[in-house]
Amino acid sequence: MAEEVPATASFTPYVHSQTLTSHIRAVSSVKFSSDGRLLASASADKTIRTYTVNTENDPIAEPVREFTGHENGISDVAFSSDARFIVSASDDKTLKLWDVETGSLIKTLIGHTNYAFCVNFNPQSNMIVSGSFDETVRIWDVTTGKCLKVLPAHSDPVTAVDFNRDGSLIVSSSYDGLCRIWDSGTGHCVKTLIDDENPPVSFVRFSPNGKFILVGTLDNTLRLWNIASAKFLKTYTGHVNAQYCISSAFSVTNGKRIVSGSEDNCVYMWELNSRKLLQKLEGHTETVMNVACHPTENLIASGSLDKSVRIWTQKKE
Amino acid sequence: MNAPIIDPLQGDFPEVIEEYLEHGVIKCVAFNHRGSLLAAGCADGGCVIWDFETRGIAKEIRDSDCSAAITSVSWSKYGHRLLVSAADKSLTLWDVSTGEKIARTILQQTPLQARLNPGLSSPSLCLACPLSSAPMIVDFDIDCTTLLPVSVPEMPDVLAPPQRSKCPESNPPFSPAAACFNKCGDLVYIGNSKGEILIVDYKSVRVLALVSASGAAPVKNIVFSRNGQYLLTNSHDRTIRIYENLLPAKNVLKSLEDLGKNIDGLDGIEKMKTVGSKCLTLFREFQDSVTKMHWKAPCFSGDGEWVVGGSACKGEHKIYIWDRAGHLVKILEGPKEALIDLAWHPVHPIIVSVSLAGLVYIWAKDYTENWSAFAPDFKELEENEEYVEREDEFDLIPETEKVKVLDVNEDEEVDIDTVEKDAFSDSDTSVEELRYLPAEPIPDTNDQQDNLVESIKLIEGQISASPASEEAGQNGHHASSPQAEEMGETRGKRKRKPSEKAMELQAEKAKPLKGSGKTVRAKNRAAFDQETDDSINGGDDDDDAYY
Repeated sequence: MAEEVPATASFTPYVHSQTLTSHIRAVSSVKFSSDGRLLASASADKTIRTYTVNTENDPIAEPVREFTGHENGISDVAFSSDARFIVSASDDKTLKLWDVETGSLIKTLIGHTNYAFCVNFNPQSNMIVSGSFDETVRIWDVTTGKCLKVLPAHSDPVTAVDFNRDGSLIVSSSYDGLCRIWDSGTGHCVKTLIDDENPPVSFVRFSPNGKFILVGTLDNTLRLWNIASAKFLKTYTGHVNAQYCISSAFSVTNGKRIVSGSEDNCVYMWELNSRKLLQKLEGHTETVMNVACHPTENLIASGSLDKSVRIWTQKKE
Repeated sequence: MNAPIIDPLQGDFPEVIEEYLEHGVIKCVAFNHRGSLLAAGCADGGCVIWDFETRGIAKEIRDSDCSAAITSVSWSKYGHRLLVSAADKSLTLWDVSTGEKIARTILQQTPLQARLNPGLSSPSLCLACPLSSAPMIVDFDIDCTTLLPVSVPEMPDVLAPPQRSKCPESNPPFSPAAACFNKCGDLVYIGNSKGEILIVDYKSVRVLALVSASGAAPVKNIVFSRNGQYLLTNSHDRTIRIYENLLPAKNVLKSLEDLGKNIDGLDGIEKMKTVGSKCLTLFREFQDSVTKMHWKAPCFSGDGEWVVGGSACKGEHKIYIWDRAGHLVKILEGPKEALIDLAWHPVHPIIVSVSLAGLVYIWAKDYTENWSAFAPDFKELEENEEYVEREDEFDLIPETEKVKVLDVNEDEEVDIDTVEKDAFSDSDTSVEELRYLPAEPIPDTNDQQDNLVESIKLIEGQISASPASEEAGQNGHHASSPQAEEMGETRGKRKRKPSEKAMELQAEKAKPLKGSGKTVRAKNRAAFDQETDDSINGGDDDDDAYY
């Protein structure tokens, strides 16, 4: 059930639509493919699962495949742009590249010397960027699996990495309180974003147009920074985030919104410009670790420490 | 988009060799429109396309019929097609994304240079310059070659007779010439053996204008800058000449006709010359007055600010860079192998040069660490500055820290969606550009998977990325040795000496890994050859109906 906060007349609340309980341990990451037809979830139970997504159906998501092979829990998963491959980052220090259709393991990327924590494809899907507890960010070539660059990114575990929309920049965040922006072609640091206070940064991602970054810090705050001016423009509060690396997302299908998980078991949704809290989605029984927004439909998926993935849709009139 | 935060002074010229690419013996290179892919022709008749970002091979194109050396490669404007000319007198048109042959013709002579029409999105029309005859237009659609005139005949009112035929019956006179399309592909600019530049309308095979050069030396190369504003000719008198193009970008034919009409009282050659003087003006001449060397493969930089030319002397690999005002800014010296081809990246300050040994050297800017990027309040000073303390510098509680004013206006509208228009304004956004070839990951073989556990244990012992560096050799992708130290973190790790146990493990792992790597690649190539064979056999019937 969803609690409704008094909101603008045009806001249609999201409601819980489905619970997926395929995993036997906490869910660490959920992602939609860029065409919106598939959902992937990664878990501490060493597996990744994919589900087909069809908003016409009831239930919306149907489990399709399970990917096994990692020797330890998985922290992150990412789709390639054409949804043919997924890459996963695991505590066994490797990244694995899988074929989505067949479920088979294609490549293992070795190089990190500590837990691989976060991973992403670039829009051209010829490179993979990964961040790790070994404080480095690595850029890999998809075709050969070779590590192209090792960036001496931070002085503490790297918690998130993301490419911008044309693949020319990489943003990385870390427990050392910094967000750094790198040129993906040369591997050189372009900018460092830091405020007066530097709480550990738990999550970072680019906005759809690549000009802003959404930064989550372990002081219960989400901020939207302008990269060019290196100043933050918006602050979103109300949720709880002091312990885990909780991911957040931009929801652009129906008005500009920020969606985030929280340690009080709810999914929070704010309006981007007014920063007003629009809705708190209740349903999970433990910390909501990650959220993902469908690229075209008004659909949110959330993964939690309670081992479930929940799907939320907008209430039908 | 990232222009505001990346240092604007970076749009300069390269200085050092960053790395080199190897794949057989390369003869010629060409960048695609955006510089994301580099096509190269080999001495064994095959072509390879590198993904320039990852410096890995994206595609290999091989024609089993052709095993003669490739003389030139040319991309279509949006990167869908590749034209390859080879020493066995053939011209082949390939579809890049599928790797299939679209068309192939055999000419009378070996074409030294072949260029696809830059104005069309799916061109089947190209310009070929053979060694010993006039340049010709080859149309793959109707399978016909048209010879272009290389000189204006003396008789005032006779236009060059069109020679349209399946294969020219009469032998054209030996007059080597260089030719190129203008930016929109309406006109062909031909530089002939008398040093003149003819502007020809290839559709009607008429010479529209004539520009004569100061020295009467044969023109060896003629090249436009990317924006079509400047034209460069390389002549036998060891001079590179830069001309400014006075014609407008669009509707060029009409403008030329208008120019022709406005001139009264002149006919024939004089008229051509007058029209010509309104189309091109000589801007600069470059030559090396000291060594008086011949130039090879001159071209413009992507933004037209720099002109680069390679020295044609054997045994040395020198690249000269001038700015457009005529000043020599840099001489790049490479390893002692002659230079055979040169290309400047369309966007970045990167030059690619091909040496006689068949290696492709990539020249890039020497990177100086930008320390202020790592710490935003760190300011780099040019020289020592006298530091003046603040009034409250040594106070226990400085004034400035007491009051923290949050002056951020959080109510301003933020736009996360709109994207600025692409800086590449010469791209027509209606046509889908082929910027990248999809990456096909090469599956790990069983050997490699078994060695995983060992590799992970190795890594625990030492920090360097040894398995990664072992595979480095497989893709024909090396960091050049003198530069390896400068590479720092990224490649210097290879130089670190692993512990003894690690070396043992590596030695025993090295053989199967390298071996399996090679088999994987050979398997892939064999598989690919199979595919191309099938497609060649099956595709011939559909060739004509392809477009």
